[in-house]
Amino acid sequence: MFGLPLAFAAPLVLAALAVLPAIWYLLRLTPPRPREVSFPPLRLILDLQAREETPARTPWWLLVLRLLLAAVIIVAMAGPIWNPTPAGDGKRGPLLVLLDDSWPAAPSWKERIASVTERIASATREGRTTALVPLSDGAREIAAGDATRANERLRTLKPVPHTVDRMLALPPIERFLSANADAEIVWIADGLASGRADEFADGLIKISGDTRVRVVTQDRTPVAIASSENAAGALEVSLMRADTRGQGSGVVRALDMKGLSIGEARFDFGAGRETKARFELPIELRNEIARVEIVDEKSAGATSLLDERWKRRRVGFVSGASADTSQPLLSPTYYLRRALTPFADVREVPSGRGDPILALLEDRLSVMVLADIGVVSGPAHDRLARFVQEGGVLLRFAGTRLASSSDDLVPVRLRRGGRVLGGSLSWESPKQLAPFPAESPLAGLNVPQEVTVTRQVLAEPDAGLPGKTWAQLVDGTPLVTAERRGKGLIVLVHVTADTTWSNLPLSGLFVDLLRRVVAMAGETGVADAGMGGETGAAPRIETVAPTRTLDGFGALGAPPLTARPIPVNFTGPPTAEFPPGFYGPSDALTAINTLAPTDRLELANLTASRFAMESLRRAEPLDLRPAIVAAAFLLLVADALASMWLAGGFDKLKPTRRRKGAAVAAFAVLLGLAAVATPHRAEAQPGPLESALRTRLAYVVTGDAQADEASRLGLGAVSRALANRTALTPGDPMGVDPGRDELAFYPLIYWPIVATRPQPSAEAVARIAAFMRQGGTVVFDTRDALTTRPGGAPTPEAQWLRLLLAGVDVPELEPVPRDHVVTKTFYLLDQFVGRTTVGQTWIEALPANGLEQVNRPARAGDSVSPIVITSNDLAAAWAADRNGNPLYPLVPGGHRQREMALRGGVNLVMYTLTGNYKADQVHVRDLLERLAH
Amino acid sequence: MVDVRLLDADEQGAGALHQLDALDLARRLPSLIVAAKEVAATVMHGVHGRRRAGAGETFWQFRPFVFGESTSRIDWRRSARDDRIYVREREWEAAHTVWIWCDRSASMGYVSGLALQPKLDRALMLGLALADLLVRGGERVGIPGLTRALASRNIVELLAERMIAESVRPGFAPAELPPADALAPRTQGVVISDFLSDPDDIAAVIRGMSARGALGHLVMIADPVEETFPFRGHTEFRDVDTTARLRVGEAESFRDDYVKRLALHREALRSAASSRGWSFIVHRTDRPASEALLGLRMRLEAGQGAPLRGSA
Repeated sequence: MFGLPLAFAAPLVLAALAVLPAIWYLLRLTPPRPREVSFPPLRLILDLQAREETPARTPWWLLVLRLLLAAVIIVAMAGPIWNPTPAGDGKRGPLLVLLDDSWPAAPSWKERIASVTERIASATREGRTTALVPLSDGAREIAAGDATRANERLRTLKPVPHTVDRMLALPPIERFLSANADAEIVWIADGLASGRADEFADGLIKISGDTRVRVVTQDRTPVAIASSENAAGALEVSLMRADTRGQGSGVVRALDMKGLSIGEARFDFGAGRETKARFELPIELRNEIARVEIVDEKSAGATSLLDERWKRRRVGFVSGASADTSQPLLSPTYYLRRALTPFADVREVPSGRGDPILALLEDRLSVMVLADIGVVSGPAHDRLARFVQEGGVLLRFAGTRLASSSDDLVPVRLRRGGRVLGGSLSWESPKQLAPFPAESPLAGLNVPQEVTVTRQVLAEPDAGLPGKTWAQLVDGTPLVTAERRGKGLIVLVHVTADTTWSNLPLSGLFVDLLRRVVAMAGETGVADAGMGGETGAAPRIETVAPTRTLDGFGALGAPPLTARPIPVNFTGPPTAEFPPGFYGPSDALTAINTLAPTDRLELANLTASRFAMESLRRAEPLDLRPAIVAAAFLLLVADALASMWLAGGFDKLKPTRRRKGAAVAAFAVLLGLAAVATPHRAEAQPGPLESALRTRLAYVVTGDAQADEASRLGLGAVSRALANRTALTPGDPMGVDPGRDELAFYPLIYWPIVATRPQPSAEAVARIAAFMRQGGTVVFDTRDALTTRPGGAPTPEAQWLRLLLAGVDVPELEPVPRDHVVTKTFYLLDQFVGRTTVGQTWIEALPANGLEQVNRPARAGDSVSPIVITSNDLAAAWAADRNGNPLYPLVPGGHRQREMALRGGVNLVMYTLTGNYKADQVHVRDLLERLAH
Repeated sequence: MVDVRLLDADEQGAGALHQLDALDLARRLPSLIVAAKEVAATVMHGVHGRRRAGAGETFWQFRPFVFGESTSRIDWRRSARDDRIYVREREWEAAHTVWIWCDRSASMGYVSGLALQPKLDRALMLGLALADLLVRGGERVGIPGLTRALASRNIVELLAERMIAESVRPGFAPAELPPADALAPRTQGVVISDFLSDPDDIAAVIRGMSARGALGHLVMIADPVEETFPFRGHTEFRDVDTTARLRVGEAESFRDDYVKRLALHREALRSAASSRGWSFIVHRTDRPASEALLGLRMRLEAGQGAPLRGSA
């Protein structure tokens, strides 16, 4: 509407705007409420009323405000929609949606789905059926259905990672259109020419007759990676785009096999359609790259997979010829260097640095090239043999030296001297190359006719020779032979690396041959075709199964069910059966990319003259009603405030006492709510502050409700007994969590062992240990006196305790001796009884009795025992309710046992608080006697 | 526009019916008492500070003993100085009574942004300060219909207490005008109010109070707004004591009429007062209270002197 992407659901309501003048008139007639003013002397002028009662006007700004309010409400009721769904072209027939779901659609897939969903919804509103045709599955017959079916179909759709042939969809569309002549056709196209888009467009126009096909394309054309090449010094990624509407610049990211980012490189198309991005990384890192993708362009085309063929090898070569730098074109190293440099890192050792082979092998080579070196001997030979055994590739070129004598590092036995073809002493003409055997790794390479061989070394016709032959001349003599040794490979080219024996080094085949050989470095363990060697009958691998494949968004994942193994030398473009991705075993993956290096992105010929073009809108329809209603509400509030101001109502808002009271009450309620909303610990227990201010006993909250309750009540009873009988008035007992609470406030912590509870955390154990080291006493109560048997297996509680104390520095323990001070601190006790009486109580062992101490009635160490272990279930014996009634039955029972248990508790607490004081106290009588004398 | 408001019912202590409100007044009165005492002190020193040198003496004058009088009244110390015998006359015997009445009706609880304090507060403060001043000057002070004439040193507290007690009484409604009972001769009445009643009613009250020859003073407390009428625009005026309302389209057009009416009203009051020998003061709440107190004090002394002289 008015060039804006604005539409109304009920435009007729807008007619109500016509009543605005009437509202204006009415508003003018009804002025706002007058200011109300108290005025005591009013009676003086009460009789003046009849005079000059001019009607007050509503202020103009209030009028405007109210008219705006009315207008806004009317607009809101008309249901304004921003970015409305375009209306259909009035057709009543079914809606046919053709959806491009190849990889170029992936970056804008969400918008495509949204667009289709909208169209389906709008067709459903008009009571029309919908047929959805994903063009990757176009050959299927088309049937129109309701929205549910179409939406279900839509939800299952994902972009496919390969280029689809749209022409397959044309016949079913034609049949559908002949059945539904009034169908509306919408083609959600990706705009690219690939997949025979132009033919499809022409066909679509032909079969659609006078119906104008709507074509919806995205605004941003896709960007793709054409190829990537591990060049010297950097990994070069070629990028392309269909036109300048694509992403102009951005970032390419290189990932390794695990999906970790190795590096990023910027690219910038400028005004062009192609560009390159370079990853300048060390070769080791570059060889790790398994995938290159364009950041922010999620599609299979923007992803390039790299396998072994992209790995850059380090190649060293040694020439037997003396280095003659004055005539480089006669040197074999010249051709090798020129041929290898584009795809490998070439290492060469300057002459005069000892044994060049040894020097190069130090350099972690992948491929070693020996040009015309006859015999390698001594340490170099051993080293070279080991290199091959461990997976290196040894590539040798023949020459006069090799022809005269050779060592064992050759794939075949060589006949001395070789043969000369087409020379002055020969009547044979120079030989050309035969096509490569199908099982040869070199198969598929172009055989140039101009390559001739004038001289070569000859292999002895041994039994395994045909299996070792990679290339041969037209007369069948082997030209390239190879043999696998250990993990490595030895390849022999029966001609020189320079042009003296053959013009092979001048041809492109030389480069390709080197490339193939170098690519084999590292492919260890793969029984490649033609690598039979001794095991010439090794089974040929026809196909490799998909390992991980790309989806349309360029993400690697498990291969779909439809994916099939590819033939070994698969080159063609990927299809639904052979989706792009990695194939083969994980150590020798073959990468199949969506786009071949020669592919170019071209725009399809979708012009406005032939189609009704629409843009794939990114913006979803936005119902403006809530926003406008909110605006109306704000205007209403503004109007109310203005009216109030005009009537002098703000004067009443002066804070009087009563309103102040109300405000305070409201604030208090808010505060209360905030307090309720604030999470806090639910236990109504004294906090650490109270613990610090008052001595109180503590127990460890085990999490077992019954044990915790017994602990709480038991310690409460002991606390009361202490308050009644001793000078100590402890506070209410405190449940602590050793892992969380500060323990320093408590002289004694009671810890009932519950074997079913998990062990406390290591941190909690550390804190318990610190507590004991710093003078606290922990009373562990295993409560298993009735189940434990002397000499029997430890009870679960005992095991639990042992496990716990494994992390604590526990002193030597002994059963409480009769003269221990803990038995004398308040009451004179024989033993510490609890709910049971048979259990033993252990305490830190006292130092051995000195002679002078023999007669002392009480003994004490220098400090309080940090640990007391009992099994008598003390807390349960102490536990009593508020009225002092016992809560747990005792064994054997009786009031005296309970009293003795309490006395034991009192003694324990007094012991922890007074230490060895009582041990000194027993001497008082002696001291007094001494003083009296 | 000036912002005006009426004190809430609970703020308007003396006009309320229940105890809470009385407590509110009680809460309010201490500060008023302090203020009243302060005001009274300034006035005292300002007018006749040295006249009361040697304070504590209640001595008024010596006069020669007249035979037939009780001999116990002879001041022997004075008489011993010469041959005559003197009688000591004490001041209290000559003390006069001033009846102070403060309007506590609803219209008094009116305050505008221009005023220093509500009319009610100003009236109570003025009344209590006057009472304090007079008692310290030796006069006796009372509230007509509420207390007898008192000369207590803590007269301010006493009067305030009585007012609170009255306002707590169930069924209490503050009157707009004092009871028209005749005051005793040679006493003086002070009526502090906004006098927004019918002038005839006020004249009747003055007549009644002065029926036995008592003199009096009317202090009209007025909020500045009540004099200037600074209202504009569409306004609805609401009476305070009654339910009358007046809605006017343009309040500013009423100003001249109002000012005229107010002048007439005051003139009527002035004439009603002067016809009985009473004085009439207008006091605005935007002026300091001491100003009114000083004027009142002067007039009281003038009024005091005249009947004394007349009777002498």
